[in-house]
Parts: sequence; C-alpha cells; structure tokens
Amino acid sequence: MAGRAAGAAVILAIVPVLLVTLLIGARGVAAMRTTSDFLVASRRISPTVNAAAVSGEYLSAASFLGIAGLVVKDGVGSLWYAVGFAAGYVAMLALVAAPMRRTGALTVPDFAEARLGSPALRKLSAVVVLVIGCLYLVPQFTAAGQVLGVVSGSPYWVGVVIAGAAVSVTLALGGMRAATYVQAFQFVLKLALFIVPAIWLVLQVSPDTRRDALTPVEFSRFEAATPVQFRLDTTLTLTEPTPVRVGGGAQEVLAPGEYHAEAGQTWEFATGAAVPHVGAGPPGGPNWARPLLDPAGHPLLATWSVLVATVLGTMGLPHILIRFHTSPDGRGARRTAAITVALLGVFYLFPAVYGLLGAVLLPELYLSGGTDTVVVALPARVDDGFAGTLFTALLTAGAFAAFLATSLGLLLAVSGALSHDLVPSTLRRLRFTPLVAALAVVLLALPAARLDVGVLVTSAFAVAASTFCPLLVLGIWWPRLTARGAIVGMTTGLLASAGVIGIDLFLGVPPGLAGILLGQPALWSVPLAFATMVLVSLRGRPPAWAAAAMLRLHLDETETGRR
Amino acid sequence: MRQPRRVAVTSPQTRVALAGRRSGTPAAPPHLAPADAERARRIHDRQLRYALTALALLGALLLGLPLVLAGLPALDTMRLAGIPVSWLAVAVLPFPLMALLAGWQLRKAERVERSWPAARRVLR
Repeated sequence: MAGRAAGAAVILAIVPVLLVTLLIGARGVAAMRTTSDFLVASRRISPTVNAAAVSGEYLSAASFLGIAGLVVKDGVGSLWYAVGFAAGYVAMLALVAAPMRRTGALTVPDFAEARLGSPALRKLSAVVVLVIGCLYLVPQFTAAGQVLGVVSGSPYWVGVVIAGAAVSVTLALGGMRAATYVQAFQFVLKLALFIVPAIWLVLQVSPDTRRDALTPVEFSRFEAATPVQFRLDTTLTLTEPTPVRVGGGAQEVLAPGEYHAEAGQTWEFATGAAVPHVGAGPPGGPNWARPLLDPAGHPLLATWSVLVATVLGTMGLPHILIRFHTSPDGRGARRTAAITVALLGVFYLFPAVYGLLGAVLLPELYLSGGTDTVVVALPARVDDGFAGTLFTALLTAGAFAAFLATSLGLLLAVSGALSHDLVPSTLRRLRFTPLVAALAVVLLALPAARLDVGVLVTSAFAVAASTFCPLLVLGIWWPRLTARGAIVGMTTGLLASAGVIGIDLFLGVPPGLAGILLGQPALWSVPLAFATMVLVSLRGRPPAWAAAAMLRLHLDETETGRR
Repeated sequence: MRQPRRVAVTSPQTRVALAGRRSGTPAAPPHLAPADAERARRIHDRQLRYALTALALLGALLLGLPLVLAGLPALDTMRLAGIPVSWLAVAVLPFPLMALLAGWQLRKAERVERSWPAARRVLR
C-alpha cells in the first residue's frame, strides 16, 4: 500500500513509542519492593492521572482502528460501539467504582474472596480472568501484526513478536507503577495522534469528498481500476459480467455467480466494473446509512444487545477493575470513573470522521476484509507526498500505542490471576509471569491471523458482562448473595457466553434472529446469570457476617483512619 | 534518591484483607459496630437509590435513542450543518449527555457520604 519511504517512516514512528514506554517502565523499577507495590503502585496516583491511565488502557485497537473499520464495513450504526464503550464508565461509576476500591482487594478474585469468603469462587474468578484476558489479548496482537503488515509490508509475525516483546519487558521491569504512567502518557499520545490527523484529513480532502461523506451513495461501480488484496478466504457474488484480472493474470470477464477468492490473492477490477457482493451490503447503501446496527433484519435488537454487552462488560473487565485500586480511596476511584467518561467522550467523537471518509475513499476495503486498517490507510490515499507518509506514520504509532497500552493492563491482570490466585507466589515469580503469559498469547495470535478480530473483542465484553458484572453488582448491593449462588451464576454466565462464542468460531453464525442471539449473547446471557445468582442465593442462607461485609463497602474512608 | 520509604496507604478494610492474605489464613469475619452499621445501611440505601436513578437515565438514553431513530426515519433526511440529524444523535449527542450524567451521579454520591458524618472511628 505505502512505499518503502512509508515503511521507514513507520519504523521511525514506532521506535520512539517503544523507547518512551520502556523508559517510563524502567523508571518504576527503583521503587518496587512488595507485591502491593508491583500491582497497584502503592495507590499514590491522583484521580485525573488515573482517569487518563484508565482511558489509555481502555482505548485499544478496537477503539483506535476497529470502530472506524466497522463503520466502513457495517455502516453508521457501528458508532453505537463507541457510545457503549464510554457508557460503561457511567455504570461503573454508579455501581462499582467506590465500593470495589474499599474492599481492599487487589483483583476481582480477591474481591470474590473478601466479600463471600470462598476460595473456590476465587479460583473460578481467576479462570474467568484468563478467559476474558485471552479473548481480548489475542486480537490486540493480531491487529498489531496486520497494521504493520499493511503499512510497511513486514510479515505478520514480526509485528506480533515485537508487540509481545515490548509489552512483557515493560511489565517485568516496572510493574503497574510503570503501567500507570505509561498508560497516562499513552492516552495523551493516542488522543493527539487520533485527533490531529482527523482534522488534517477533513481539511485536506476536496469539498466534493466531504459532501460525498455526508450524502453517501452506494458503492456499486469501481471508479478506477482497483486492485483488491483479499485478507481472508472470501466468497464473492457477481451480479453481472465483470472484467477482472485475478492474481496478476490477463483480464477476463467473469460470468455472474459465486466465486471464491483465497486469502492473499489480488483481484484487479476494471474501471466501471460492478462491485461484487460480500456478506452484508456494500458501503453507502440505504441500510448502511441508517444509524442502527442491522446484521440480520432486527436493527433494534442488534443495537440493544451490543449496548448491553459493552456497557455491562466494561464493568467486568479485569484489567480495568484492577486499575481502580490505584486510587487512594473509594472517593478517588469514583472521581476517576467520572473523569474517564469525559475523557473517553472526547476521543470517541473522532472514529466517525475516519469511518465516513473511509467509506468514500477506500470502499474497496469492504471487499478485501481489511476494513480494520482504514484508519492507517487513509492518509496515503488523500496525499501521496510527504504529508501523507507523515500522517500514516503518526497514526501507525498511535495504533501501536493502543495495542501496547491495552496489552500491558491485560497481561498484568492475567499474570496476576495466574500467580496470585491460581498459584500463590512471591514477587519474583509475579515479575516473570507476564513473560510466560505474553509468550502464550503470541503463540495463540500467530495462527489467529485469519480469525475475525471483531468477534473476539466483542466476545470478551459479553463474557465479562455475563460473569463479573452480576458478581460485582450483587456482591456490592445485595447482602443476601451467597457464595454458592455466585459460583452457580458465574458458571452459568460463563458457559452461556463463552459456549455460544465457541459455536460461532467453530460452526459459524446462523442467519436471522438466532444469529443475533448467538452472535451477541449478552441480551439473554446477562439476565440469565443475574437470575441464576439471585435464585440460587435465595435458596441458601448467607453467613451472619454477610451484611457487615457488604455494608462496610459503603462507608467512606475519610473518617475511618485513612493514614 | 530523595525517595522516602514507601508505605502502603490503606484503609482499615484494606488492612483486614491484606492481613488475611499475608498470614495465609482467612481474614476474621467482618464486623461493624452497631452505630456504624446503622449509618452504613442508610448510606447504602441512599447510594442505591441514586445509582439506580443514574442507571435508569442511562438506560433511557441508550435504549430510547435507538428506539427514536428506528421510529423516526425522517431524522435521516433532516440535516444540521449538512450532517444528518440521526448521525449526530449517535456520533455526538450521547457523549456530553453521559458526561453530565456522570457529573450528577458523582456529586450526589459524594453528598450522601458527607451528609452522614461518622460519630466515631469505624473499626472492625
């Protein structure tokens, strides 16, 4: 896509991100003494810095690249993902932030044991952390490989290995103290690297392009000879005889019908050729422009289930929850959540810019399956000179910062669950667990190149919403919750959400209403988990101290001997 | 370096949780003095009410907005500064509203905590 110069510029952009990340990480080493130091930076961080760190950690590849890509692929309705991602912090603020911090527990499994006194529940929570962590980490690493591949032509595995190495070294050297400053720094970096190129793009494109972006026309004819390199095995439906050169061969006219393009193959469509159909309709159609998610003819249901998964899932993401423990007290945690809503709101105003411009300028990405790369591919399309290369490099650096930041927090949560909860350990072991975890994720990400990245990230939210969300909400607000109820409810939620995801990955998503219910299970799996937890708890009897265990989470610390 | 000796800053609850972990035995069952329990119960009830109100408002916004957009396709053709109103309703409108909601909930929650000052130190 971009030339060799772009490749060099991209390397120049990513190296500083890695170096500064490592530098801030290394600065944290000197002060690290205990497990508590490693995990929560001794809770010395102000709400604003912490909110920036939460946002920095949260803005992953899904936010930086994915939403704009989904807008190109599925339409304007995909912007609901951004709304859900930000709204999650309103729910977090109202329901869990302050009480969760007051448990004094370091991780979700700790919370489970502190509130319900059940070691079995703790182990189960640690397993859920591992499931969510893997579902979330693998696509981060996959995205790193893809973006590097698109802009610089490096092989997929190079990006994956670089990301894994940088993240795990930072963690092993500096722990979360490093992670907090790294994350706060990366939030500012990502915000700048996302907003400035967006403004430049809007000013740079012609008034016609701006008008086209706001009055979409269906992408039905290629306006110029367009090479399309398929990222995945793809089935195309041609509606009329189409002149095309397959794999650099001579031009031939393909009769209407179904065709199969292999991953990596390039088809060059001639000027004026009809755009073949792939899955959903092409960008710009009337359905595309409707501001609702509509994969299978049930727009309201589909939009709502994405919102339920993202809003409630945010509350249960283990790498975000652990971050609230870096606040000095419950009040700090609550302020952190509130500031985060505002910070994320600023960032999420901009994916729409990339998505709408991408639908006009790079609609062919919808064919190749490369819509996730639309953000980094746009500058080169708008300006093929120095400025285009510069902004490609900046956006790539931002995207890489997004992988790094999210992966740091996730690896910390995963290695915390492994060495803290599943196998008790000393600090030394905790330092090296991230290396092992990173290696495992890299190995998982290498064969996942051709998996649909979007499915995995949304699944992580659905699993979190169906397991940790009911555990936290009921644990904090309902004194009658029993350990047995929590275990049965969480197991039900885990099996429902993760089981459905397994069906999707291995058997494919069925069409129609069943497709929405199975593809995005949160709408039924979250109520199911809540109901199971409540019903099983009502059949049992909580221990005598349960009410006190819950109530003390609502007492502020200001007068209770904060030192 | 000017680094002071680092001490973990913890609440009593934190110390309970940490003590249990370090000694390898479960923490003593939590206990609240009757006065504190009463105060905590009142705070809990008030906080729950505000939390549910905030959630209801959030739900009304997030579930209601798609409903409005689905029911009024005319919003797609109506334009504000050249941009379809229905797009603005997704891409811009929710964010300031959610920030306001978050600010409101934060103020309410902190006021509840201030309005019941502890009579005595709460110890376990």
